[in-house]
Amino acid sequence: MAFIQALIDGIMIGGVYAMISIGLTLVFGIMGIVNFAHAEFLMLGMFIAYYAWAWLGLDPLLAAPLSFVIVFGLGCVLQRLLFRRILRAPEISQIFLTVGLLIVLENMALWMFGSNYRSVTTPYQTSSLSLGPIFINVPYLFAFLMSAVCGTALWLFLRLSWFGRAMRATAQDPMASTLMGINADRMHMLAFGLGVGLTAFGGAVILPYLTASPTVGGQFVILMFTVVVLGGLGSVAGAVVGGLAVGVIQSLSALAFPIQLQNLVLFVVFIAVLVVRPQGLLGDVR
Amino acid sequence: MKRFLIGATIVAAAACVPFFLEPRGYVIRVLCITLLFAALAQAWNIVGGLARQISLGHAAFFGTGAYTSTLLLINFGISPWLGMIAAAIIGAIMALLIALPTMRLRGHYFALATLAFAEVMRVIGNSWSSVTGGPVGLSVPFRPDSLLMLQFKTPRPYFWIMLGALVVVTLTFMVIRSSKIGYRLRAIRENVDAAETIGIDTAGTKIIAAVVSGALTASLGTLYAQFQFFFDPDTAFGLASISVRIALIAIIGGVGTVAGPIIGAFFIIPFEELTNSLLSNKAAGVSQIVYGLLLIAVILLEPRGLIALGKTVMTKLSRRKAP
Repeated sequence: MAFIQALIDGIMIGGVYAMISIGLTLVFGIMGIVNFAHAEFLMLGMFIAYYAWAWLGLDPLLAAPLSFVIVFGLGCVLQRLLFRRILRAPEISQIFLTVGLLIVLENMALWMFGSNYRSVTTPYQTSSLSLGPIFINVPYLFAFLMSAVCGTALWLFLRLSWFGRAMRATAQDPMASTLMGINADRMHMLAFGLGVGLTAFGGAVILPYLTASPTVGGQFVILMFTVVVLGGLGSVAGAVVGGLAVGVIQSLSALAFPIQLQNLVLFVVFIAVLVVRPQGLLGDVR
Repeated sequence: MKRFLIGATIVAAAACVPFFLEPRGYVIRVLCITLLFAALAQAWNIVGGLARQISLGHAAFFGTGAYTSTLLLINFGISPWLGMIAAAIIGAIMALLIALPTMRLRGHYFALATLAFAEVMRVIGNSWSSVTGGPVGLSVPFRPDSLLMLQFKTPRPYFWIMLGALVVVTLTFMVIRSSKIGYRLRAIRENVDAAETIGIDTAGTKIIAAVVSGALTASLGTLYAQFQFFFDPDTAFGLASISVRIALIAIIGGVGTVAGPIIGAFFIIPFEELTNSLLSNKAAGVSQIVYGLLLIAVILLEPRGLIALGKTVMTKLSRRKAP
């Protein structure tokens, strides 16, 4: 029974992992840049939701769209100022520009918000639904549902809207899409804003069960990369599978190992996937 | 020969510097750390510079070196000099074990895999408390002013040791660079597939470079432990404190060049110390913000680093002067 309980918890958490990692994979898929600073936008999303709760009394789940909008805007600006200039730069420049951004964002947060751990209190924080012997943690459930709704909305956007199709066209062949009258530069900006915005949205929905701190991004860097590498860098569907897989692996490994070794299992899975199938479980060999 | 003489003169001049400084002073302490990090960046440069394999996990070797010698000293009273040799051997074996699965990875994937390896070491360091002391960290037993125990009361003798380490690592880098392996590594940097086609054993070459780099980095970890007398898993295996900083120094100075890591270290480390001492009371993290902004600026202005930036500025100035 403990196994089924862990499995359900894993799927709940994994759904959120999928949602926060979609942004990372989207940015890579469309711009070809691995953003080491991506987890910092999760941290920003958490803090925006925290202050919306502390100042306006807004529930983090309702503040999630606010986190999305603010970070979307910030992402567009950062794409204009920084990322646009390294699109064709060597990988070493791409890696270290994003590492530099990581350092700046983390320490700016430290400076502005202080190093305290901050958490919100919500009426549903400690409640859980019981289905016979199985319990479903309500904050997990809400975060999972929000992620599912947001992920579906993104999927519809990419499939059906003109912008979504233009974005995917840019990812496939920037030159040909430019010839079709698509402004590739604007698509990159939208994709980057969307990518970091979605991750910030995820940051807000996990706030009811996690604490926000300026260094929270560090806990998520490897996790997010594990998710996207597992599913194949650049693949949105892959991120969903990867996210669920990572959630379940993490939750099940908690049954067998002490808590501090949970991450170790994750890293080992990550390295194993990199070594065996760097193109991801769903990706094609290029 | 001429280059050798210039190099020898610079080293001899540098060795005289401590006589002009307060032996217990702050300045000489900062210089010791600067020399140590210059050596670390130079060791990173063997893999990161020559083959352009960007490692974000050199802290794995560094921390292992610090733990190896210190644990040997605490548990068996073994001199850190021998500990340093043990550290180098373990560092080499670790580099081999890491290189075997990762050497086929390129670019971002290699960076991510090495980063994850260093994180694995950090988690092990934190959770294997019976051996490593866990998150509390380890203190090096204090038996000062003994060359045998590699411990001194004042930073002055450390200055010469760190300088010696930098010379050894720099010479190693230069020897590798001008050897067959160096040319092969540069061929790999330019185009792995082409290098493979003309018959270079790319995997074997990368492994040799990684093993040398790992062994040197681990022995520098021993020096760090003997100099600081205290460390914990989060500093010794730290991503920002070690892995990224080492790579940054090489990149800011000029990646793949002999002088790059040295110039980078003499720019970054004193800068960090200065901003920390000036700003730390007023606002936490401000020095790190400046540090990150500087990195972004260097990447956007001149990704080849300060050396290339200096050259560009010089040519522009001389052009403006000329009619």
